[in-house]
Parts: sequence; structure tokens; C-alpha cells
Amino acid sequence: MEITSNWYLILSALLFSIGAIGLLIRRNPLVMFMCVELMLNAVNLSFVAFGDRLGDIAGQVSVFFVLVVAAAEVVVGLALVVAISRRRATTTADDLSVLRG
Amino acid sequence: MISLIAQITTGDDLLVAQNIFWWFFALVTVLAGIKVVTTDNIVHAALYLVIVLAGVAVQFVFLGSEFAAVTQVLVYIGAIVVLLLFGIMLTRGSLGDDQLVDTERRGMGALVALLLFGLMAFSLVDGFEDVVLPEDTRNLIEVEVPIDTDIDDDEFIRTQRGSDTAAIGDTIFESYIVPFEAVSVLLLAALIGAVVIARKE
Amino acid sequence: MDFSAALPVADVVAFNRPAIDWHAASPELILLGFGALLTLVDVIFLDRAKQYTAALAGIGLLVTMVPILTLANDMSETGPRVMFDGAYVIDEFSLIMKAIFILSGYVVILLSTNYIAEGDYWESEYYGLMLSAILGMVVMASSRDLISIFVAFELLSIPSYMLATWKKRSLESNEAGLKYYLMGVFASAIMLYGMSLLFGASGETILTKVNASLSSDPLTGESLSSSTPVLTLAVIFVIVGFAFKVSAAPFHNWAPDTYSGAPIPVTAFLAVASKIAGFVALVQLVFVGFYARADVFQPLMWILAAASMIIGNLIALRQTDIVRLMAYSGVAQAGFILAPLAVAGDVGDQALASIVSYLAIYAAMNLGAFAVILAAARKTGSTSIESMNGLFSYAPGLAVAMTIFMFALAGIPPLGGWFAKFQIFFAVVEQGGTWAIILGVLLAVNSVIALYYYASVARRIWADQAPDGDLTPIRIPPSLGAALVLTVVATLVFGFLPGAVSQFTDVGLIAGG
Repeated sequence: MEITSNWYLILSALLFSIGAIGLLIRRNPLVMFMCVELMLNAVNLSFVAFGDRLGDIAGQVSVFFVLVVAAAEVVVGLALVVAISRRRATTTADDLSVLRG
Repeated sequence: MISLIAQITTGDDLLVAQNIFWWFFALVTVLAGIKVVTTDNIVHAALYLVIVLAGVAVQFVFLGSEFAAVTQVLVYIGAIVVLLLFGIMLTRGSLGDDQLVDTERRGMGALVALLLFGLMAFSLVDGFEDVVLPEDTRNLIEVEVPIDTDIDDDEFIRTQRGSDTAAIGDTIFESYIVPFEAVSVLLLAALIGAVVIARKE
Repeated sequence: MDFSAALPVADVVAFNRPAIDWHAASPELILLGFGALLTLVDVIFLDRAKQYTAALAGIGLLVTMVPILTLANDMSETGPRVMFDGAYVIDEFSLIMKAIFILSGYVVILLSTNYIAEGDYWESEYYGLMLSAILGMVVMASSRDLISIFVAFELLSIPSYMLATWKKRSLESNEAGLKYYLMGVFASAIMLYGMSLLFGASGETILTKVNASLSSDPLTGESLSSSTPVLTLAVIFVIVGFAFKVSAAPFHNWAPDTYSGAPIPVTAFLAVASKIAGFVALVQLVFVGFYARADVFQPLMWILAAASMIIGNLIALRQTDIVRLMAYSGVAQAGFILAPLAVAGDVGDQALASIVSYLAIYAAMNLGAFAVILAAARKTGSTSIESMNGLFSYAPGLAVAMTIFMFALAGIPPLGGWFAKFQIFFAVVEQGGTWAIILGVLLAVNSVIALYYYASVARRIWADQAPDGDLTPIRIPPSLGAALVLTVVATLVFGFLPGAVSQFTDVGLIAGG
């Protein structure tokens, strides 16, 4: 059995689902960031797999942009977490209690 | 790249080896991904994330995208994970133990994940199973491949796909110059804003 | 070391310098230039520059309007200007939207001037981030390519996450920022996955080409009568990603918390400019990107529109805080704006025209309402609805303005909102199908529910007693006053002369749609 690009896509779907659910069930912001990274990696994998099967360079170009944006997102996310941790003892998303839901 | 190797050495041996490697890395990636989500220790989660990122980089190599693989290692593992570890360090103690939600919610999560994955996998298989696309003819180059003496010729010329990196650079600065400029502004804005927000008064 | 031996590189790749239409790109370049100038001025002059940064940002936005006007003037001769093979298009739609973004950005800067200077804030960085977010919106209005849309979306979102948390000492503001951030990155990941599926299914990233290949089978070339599962999934993921941004129910949970935690000018910015940017992306995707797949996006839009209207309005009835009330009213209005998209496949021109008018009027009346909330909070220091009690007795001007905005939001003629609501209503009913009629009924019912809570705010202002009988007047600084005048005038003009809007929204707005 040859590994066709379908297998890469399914691997990507699996990683995406794991990340999405992690984001929903975890309550630590830093772990949630990691779950977002999982999802973005799944996206990158599917972009490259599609680019490979289509013979289109745009797949790899997208990876470049997603990567840069992910870096910017993490920087901002960490700044927010650091700002909050300066002001309170514990930081979990459940404890975002000053605001009502 | 694996297709490249497979082309050079014809025969089932390599195909088997390729499959074994692919499945090994895919399995490790997925298991590490599950550990990121389920482990209670946040530092462990970050380290499992490194495994996932490296696993995805390996998949990029399998797909013949060295540029994506290298940037993945440099930017994700080299920068983003290090940032995350710094974040863990800076907020240490104030974060406390990240107790996972109760088992009931964990079960619900697993169920939803399975449903989501099933839906996506079904659509993907349905959409892309039998679509055969024309052979990729861009960026082909001829290389001399030295061959073992078993074969009569000393060497022979064959065509293979060259590196895409130059093409990626050209494409970014030809068709995607607007998003390129936009991400550069984005990085600067993120940098300035993050410094202001994280800074001690 | 010679790497070429290890990894052969094709030397056939030739770089073609892309043709750039500098006139068409000048709004973005001017905005970029002023952003850089602002940063430089801050770095060179440090604290001495602080008092000028707001003015500089405002001037930058006004200067940016110049090329937009000249481009609009040339539009009749040149037609849409297309760059990068259709990835970046300057057409009437994009120019109108750019003007809306820049003018509402200008009003937000007027609102911020005193608020930021008097509070405990970092000033010049605030305006720098504001300009970069506006740049992202301006880029978004012309992006007709999946990657450009994604990057423009991030450029307008990421500075917004930081602006929402700008009140650094307030835990509430920090949490507002974090909540907004987590929702935002989750949404963008979902949207990106949808985009990768679209790319995979169509083999293109440019929207017009995506649309062309979505309408036919990639193998046989026959036109697809119904969608395939993967296309459905792709369209749903992309739309859900933007539904978070426009705070459409059931993806609206972040909005009330973020709005009430963020500094008030930033709330106005998020509720108006940022939300309109989400709609612009949706409109471009629906009308250019997957117009051929009306069988997928129409039902989805129907559900989102109906849910947003009902949930937004019902929860708005119970609010005691005016900012949270505006947040839920924003959810309900998102439902209104999404409604024409549910019939866009059949009555495209009309749907598009009604959305564009609604967005223009939406910007004016919501910014105005936030300006009054900001002015009232200068005295009361609170955003509870009770703090508006008896506003008329000590600030009659503000009371009149707030009444105008509330009635405009409720859609009472002859104020701005009625024209927008009627246009949307007629576009939806025009389609004539059963589902469209049901949606039309929902629109009408929800207008009545909304009237109740808008009118109750107006009643408090006029009929109730001021808290503690405190009748000291509110001192309104000039920039805030200017913002109030601009928004009142715009709301009145749109109401009395609906032609002023519809003149721009006739036909052929969007190139390739």
C-alpha cells in the first residue's frame, strides 16, 4: 500500500481534531496556546499535502504565512498571560471570573 | 522526497521501508498530540508539542517540502516552543497545577473529537480518494545518479523535481507581495504591543 | 560548501517583477507611512511627542482619504483596477469599505484622544496599533485571495487583542483581551483549515478562480448540481471562522465580556470597524469566492442570521449595563446583516447593495451611541444603564444625540436605521421562497423586540431622575464633541436622504461577483 496524499490529509484532520478538542477541554491558557499550535500545524500539513498533489507552490507559500502569523499570535498570547499573572495568583480560563459569561 | 527515493530504487523493499517509516512517524506524532492535550504537567505538554512539531516536519520532508520542514524546525521548535517555555517559567507558581477537567468532560471531549475527526475524514476520503491529477511538471531537472555496479551503466541521467525553495521565494515576491508586506507590519505591531502589555509598570 | 551538489536546484525559475498600480496602492502606502512616522516620532521625541500622536494618527487617516476619493473619481473611466492576477482588486465595493474603515477609524481616534490621554495608558503605541489594525481592514477590503484575506484578518485582529487589554492595571481588561484572543485564534485556525480545504478542492487561492472551479467537477468538467462533502465542510469552516469575528450567534460569547472589559474607545472600534471588516471578508467570500455554492452558504447564513437576531435581542432585553446592551444589540444586528446573504444566491445585486448601505449606517449610529456612552461615563464613571437616568436634565445635547442614535438603531423613520432595515427586508422578501419569507417575518418581529430595549434607554434619559439629583453638566472636550457632531450628522443624512447611500450602492459593486 502506498502512502498517498490522502493519508497526509487524514493525519492532518486527526491533529486538527485533537487540537480543537484540547482547546475546548483544557483550561490553562498556555496549554490552550499549544492546542492552537497543533491546529495550525494540521493546517500547514494539509496545505503542503494539497500543494504536493496539485503541484502548486501556493501550498508551501501558505505555510510561510501561517508560520509567521502563528509566531505573532504566540507572542501576543504570552504577553497577555504574563500581564494577567502579574495581577493574580492563578491563571486558568475558568478563573476568568471578573467577567460574567 | 520519499517518492524521489522510491523512484531511484525500484522494488517493493523500499516501499515497505517507506511505509514503515511513515506509519511510525505518523503514530508518534498523533500519540504525542494526544499527550499534549491530556497531560497534567504543562512542561511535559510543551515537550510533547516539540515531538508533534518535529513529526510534522518529518511529514514535510516526506512530501518533498524541505523549505517548510526547515522553517518548521527553526520557527516552531526553535522560537515558538522556546517562547512557550519562557511563558511557563515567567508565570510559574501563579499558574498552579493545571488540573484537567473532570473525567465526564474528558469523555465528552473524546467523543466530540471522534465525531469531528470522523466527519473530516469522511469528507476528505470522499473528496480526494479517486481524483488523479496530472503529473507535476514544474521545476524538473536532470541529475546524474550513480548506480551500483549491478547495473551495466556506470551512471544514468534521470529527471526529478528540484528544490522548491527558489520558487517559493519568487512566488512570495511576485504574487503574494501584499500579504508579505502585511505580515511584516503585523510582526512589528505584535512586537511593540507585546512589550507594552507584558512590561512591568 | 557547495550545497547545489547535495540538493540540485532548478535554475529555470525566473523572477518576474510584479506590476504594481501605485495609485491604487496609495491608500495602503500612506497609512503604512504614517504608522511608521508615528513610531519614529515616538522613538525620537519620547514623552514630548505624546500630545501629538493622536493628531498625527488622525491626520494620517484624513490624508489616506485623498487617494480613495481620487480613485473613486477615476473609477468610471478605468473600471476596477486588478493587481496580481486578481488577488488584489480596487473596485467600488472596496473603495466604499475603505472609506468606511478610515472614517470610523478617525471617529475612534477622536473618541480616544482625551480618554487615552487622561487615563493611565501608553499613548503613542495605542495609536500605532490602531493604525496597523486599520491598515489590515483597508487591505482586507481589496483582498480577493485566500492568503491575503487570512493575513489581512490577522493584521486587523492581533492589534485588536492587544488594544482590548490596553487598560493594563485592570484585571477585567486583561481578561477581556485574553478571552478575545483565545476565541480569535480558535476562529482563525478553523477558518484556515477551511481555506486549506478550499485550496485543495479547487487548486487555486484567488477567489474568482476558486469560484470557477467550485462550480464544476474537477475530473469531468461537468457543472456540479450539488455540493460535495468536502466543499460543504470547507465553506462551513471558513464561514464559521468569520462568524466569530462578526459575533454572530452561537459564536458571540466573547463579545459582551470583551466589550465591557476593554477601554470604551476600543470597544467602539471592535464593535464597528472590526466587525465590519468581518462582514467585508464574508461578502467577498460569498459573492466572489463561493457564489457557485449557494446550496451550501445560503442555509448556513439563514441559521446564523436567525439565531443571531433571536438570541441577541432576547438577551439584550435583560441587560443592565449599556455596553453589554450594545454588545447584544450588535449580535442582533449581525443577524440583520447576515440575512441578505441567506438569499444572496438568488438576488445577489440587491442583497449586496442592502448590506453595503446597512454597514455604512451601522458604523455611524453605533459609533455615535458609543460616543454618548463615553461622554456620559466621563461624569458618572459607570456604564450601567441606570447611570443614564435623567441625562436630559443635565446634558440635553447628549440626551438628544443618544435619542437619535437609539431610534436610528431601532429603525424608526426618518433616522438612518430605517432605510437600512427596509432595504434588507425587501432584499430578503424579494427572493420569495418560503424560507426567505420566514426570515423576513423574523426580521420584522426582531425589529419590534429591539425597539423595546432601545426605547427603554431613551425613556430613562428623558423621564427618570438623575441619580442623587446631581445636575453638574458634563464637560465635553472638543475632539469628543467633533465625533458626536460627525456621527449625528451622518445618521441624520442617511435617514433623510437615503439616496446619499444608495447612489453608491446601485449595481456592479464587486468585481468578479
